[in-house]
Amino acid sequence: MDNPAQIIIENVSHHYRPAVGREVLALESVSLQVREREFLALVGPSGCGKSTLLYLIGGFLPIDTGKIMVDGKPAAGPGPDRGIVFQNFALFPWKTVRKNVLYGLERQALPRAEREARAQAFIDLVGLTGFEESYPSHLSGGMKQRAAIARTLAFDPRMLLMDEPFGALDAQTRSLMQSELLAIWEKTRKTVIFVTHDVHEAVYLAERVAVMTARPGRIKAIIDTSFDKDDPEVHRSKIFVDKVDEVWTLVRDEAVKALEKQRP
Amino acid sequence: MARVTDAMRRRFAWGAARLAPVVTLLAAWEIFARSGAVTPFMLPAPSAVTERICEDALGGDLFVNIGATLYRALMGFAIAAVGGVVLGAVMARNALARWFFDPIISVGFPMPKIAFLPVIILWLGLYDVSKITMVVLDAIFPVVTATVAGIASVEKELLWSARNMGAKDRELLWQILLPAALPQILTGLQVALPIALIVVVVTEMQMGGYGLGGAMMQASRFANSRGVFAGIVEIAIIGYALVAAMAWLRRRLLAWHQEGREG
Repeated sequence: MDNPAQIIIENVSHHYRPAVGREVLALESVSLQVREREFLALVGPSGCGKSTLLYLIGGFLPIDTGKIMVDGKPAAGPGPDRGIVFQNFALFPWKTVRKNVLYGLERQALPRAEREARAQAFIDLVGLTGFEESYPSHLSGGMKQRAAIARTLAFDPRMLLMDEPFGALDAQTRSLMQSELLAIWEKTRKTVIFVTHDVHEAVYLAERVAVMTARPGRIKAIIDTSFDKDDPEVHRSKIFVDKVDEVWTLVRDEAVKALEKQRP
Repeated sequence: MARVTDAMRRRFAWGAARLAPVVTLLAAWEIFARSGAVTPFMLPAPSAVTERICEDALGGDLFVNIGATLYRALMGFAIAAVGGVVLGAVMARNALARWFFDPIISVGFPMPKIAFLPVIILWLGLYDVSKITMVVLDAIFPVVTATVAGIASVEKELLWSARNMGAKDRELLWQILLPAALPQILTGLQVALPIALIVVVVTEMQMGGYGLGGAMMQASRFANSRGVFAGIVEIAIIGYALVAAMAWLRRRLLAWHQEGREG
């Protein structure tokens, strides 16, 4: 567990500039370290900037103040070392599942046969065998997210940035996808930063849960949730229920504060 | 021997049902024209108009005129389509181009471009070039606005995903933005196509010569009402065929899109 820190976030602040109106301080001096091969969940009340932090790590937004180091290099611009998975899947709708998965591979120096084999391997891994030639609009929500995860895993990023990936799925699919993600994580052992507003999901999936404050977002607390989760009844175990309660109390306090701030 | 299945019968019934309003209109026209309430000069019967169209077809004039009209309409449409997508893409990607062209598009779109016809005639003469220019001038606007709106509405997550997977900035336009905006661009083209036909017929009426519009004006000058009505029917059929062809092309190109889904 004592892996070195792979992602170092130091005093990062971020202003969000809406098309109209004043600029908003979304993040205020956030500092956080993520270890290699760790599964870290980021929770907080809505609007706390947890997705913004993820986009900053991904290099999709410019960093105003502070710095983010990934593998010892500043996170300037997106790169295939950090694979992102979005809540709305962001599959290319005009490409079949296979072509979607191939998109990232085509930008790597691999022979064609190997690209095809890799794509097929990850389509199989997420359980989409037989749907290679389907367009995303013909897939269910859960299948779309499987395809998106396969597409991101296929170009072999060192870490996965997941932005509420199961937020658009129904409860059954969501719980199924959670166990499958854990299985995939155990197989591939990538560093994962997982943004969610679902405390249950965070405690179940992650080894550590970082709770953020209401806007402007800061890291309020980091809870260790690395207990044994192999038991199918883990959701009812005392340690699980206690951890959920602990995280939930922290998040709820912040949600209440956020509501109070909105009142005139 | 092919078996007549239920599905085939249903499709035939649907086709017949869709044709019924047109058949009813033609029948009403025929009955009214023969009733004696109007003279054949004011309103020739469809049968007489059909006869005239057949004569034109046998004489070859019909195909010369249709060819001229279609050539101008489709050539103008093609230039407007390519130019409109290029201009729209440049405007969507470049703030300076947007700053420059936005007011021009806003003023130019609602303006009746037919007002330029005298100038265009002075500059470019009476033949194909001036007519095609008029078509481009009218048909390019819906294509530009649809392209700008289509590219602007592409979700940022699609662009981010592509960049995440190593796409270069210059690859984004062809690989992501244009395919993602294709449904809206095709809608713009579907608006532009009938405009192209309308403008070509109007300019032909103004300038004379070959083409369906010119032939109609000539028939009108010679007080040939069957010839005028023949032109109206021909233009209606060509317009319908063009729109149907464009809808077919859309279904082909957007097989991946939600709307291409069955059921």
